[in-house]
Amino acid sequence: MKSIKDHLMFILPLMAMLIGIEFILIFNRVTTNYEQKLKDEYAILVVSKKEITTPIARGVSDKIDSIEVMNREDIAKEVTSDMQDTAMVAILKDLPFFYRVHLTSYLSLDELKDVQKQLKSIDGTLNVEIFGENYHSKHTMFRLVKIILNIFVIMLFIVSIFLVIKQMEVWQLAHKSRMLIMEIFGAPIMLRSGILFKIAFIDAIIATILNIVIFIYIKSTWSTSTDIDFIRDNQHLLINVSDFVIMLFTAIVIVSISVFIVAVKSSEVPEG
Amino acid sequence: MASVISAENLTLAYEKGKNIIINGVTFSIEQGEFVFITGPSGSGKSTLLKSMYGQIKPHDGLLSIGGLDMKKIKKAQLLQLRRNIGIIFQDYKLINEWTVEKNVVLPLIITGYSLDVQKVQAEKLLSHVKLSEYANKYPLELSGGEQQRVGVARALSKNPFLILADEPTGNLDEFSSGVVWDLLENACDQLNATVIVVTHKIPSIFNIAYRHFIIENGGVHEVH
Repeated sequence: MKSIKDHLMFILPLMAMLIGIEFILIFNRVTTNYEQKLKDEYAILVVSKKEITTPIARGVSDKIDSIEVMNREDIAKEVTSDMQDTAMVAILKDLPFFYRVHLTSYLSLDELKDVQKQLKSIDGTLNVEIFGENYHSKHTMFRLVKIILNIFVIMLFIVSIFLVIKQMEVWQLAHKSRMLIMEIFGAPIMLRSGILFKIAFIDAIIATILNIVIFIYIKSTWSTSTDIDFIRDNQHLLINVSDFVIMLFTAIVIVSISVFIVAVKSSEVPEG
Repeated sequence: MASVISAENLTLAYEKGKNIIINGVTFSIEQGEFVFITGPSGSGKSTLLKSMYGQIKPHDGLLSIGGLDMKKIKKAQLLQLRRNIGIIFQDYKLINEWTVEKNVVLPLIITGYSLDVQKVQAEKLLSHVKLSEYANKYPLELSGGEQQRVGVARALSKNPFLILADEPTGNLDEFSSGVVWDLLENACDQLNATVIVVTHKIPSIFNIAYRHFIIENGGVHEVH
């Protein structure tokens, strides 16, 4: 019973750290996905007296992916729906060109303003509308949540690492006699701490597997039946194979550092 | 003969020099010598022995073990030195979770000898200390005398150039003490190991030549 408790005291903080890491991974994927979606659905509107082609637009900014001409007749039709055909011809004659400019990636508001300036520098450009506020309002909230999550995970990480080291010290006390004897007979630090490494590695693997099981359950059961659209829409981003590798690697690095700290601290210091 | 242990004005102290135990002693011990160190309780016998395997660093003066300055010795060098010293303790210091066989070959495990070599050496040593049938038992299943024989076998397992024994018979009955003294005599006589034994009482029957140091009031005096 005590042994199970000892292991749980190590596995639980480790799991907390791994859950934090998984949250960051998922949130990064969701953010990237969201930015991609925003980018795909977004376009800058350019009004110009002269024709603009994609190479011309790219010539002023490498952040421009393509430029799409809006049908002038459709625009003229909307304006002249109650007028005679001659009015439409006259309007078409003076109507400037309208373009939708698509970007290569999701840009910040400042970057958008730069692109706006660059587009305005093209000869014949009358107006450039970036719809900046709309574009950014949701994304700003998203980024705020991301920052808060990162702070939370860092705090969780710090508390958990102290708990892990504390538990390591408990183990070190339990194995102190053996480690001391081995040191007296000249065993290097890695050899005399071997038992700690062994226990810690096993617990790291258990913690990783438990986390994976929890997230697979959330992905396959809960997220498919939830009423929250956002989670249902992003269900495919919840966990993937690379997460398992990242979590296992992180867990092993954390336990290795913790064991090493404890082993160095427990090393006998000769008096003089 | 080369000095295995040499001390010049050696001072040993605890609490960063506040508590001086051994004060400015000079002596040397050669390869293959058997040395008894006696003295009253708390005189510093065990402290002197501990300094010989680097548990305590000299506070002042020089202590050289196997040519290494114990004051300036680096951690890696100290571990290397300890792998070539056999140490025997009054309280045996066996690893209770390990079998007798594994305890005996601890120095070989530390040095990285193969399992085959460990097995052969364990059989030889356990036969030497007459504990062959206990190979797969655990230390706590053995009597004190038997545990100490395991401790002696462990100390001999790598044919060390130096054997340090701290009250090796302190907890043993007369028969077991006799067996341990025989083993230490053999180690000195046949393996040419230098043996330093800290004890309260030198055995009445001892079959080889030995030197006798007495520690008293911080000094070390040789009895001729």
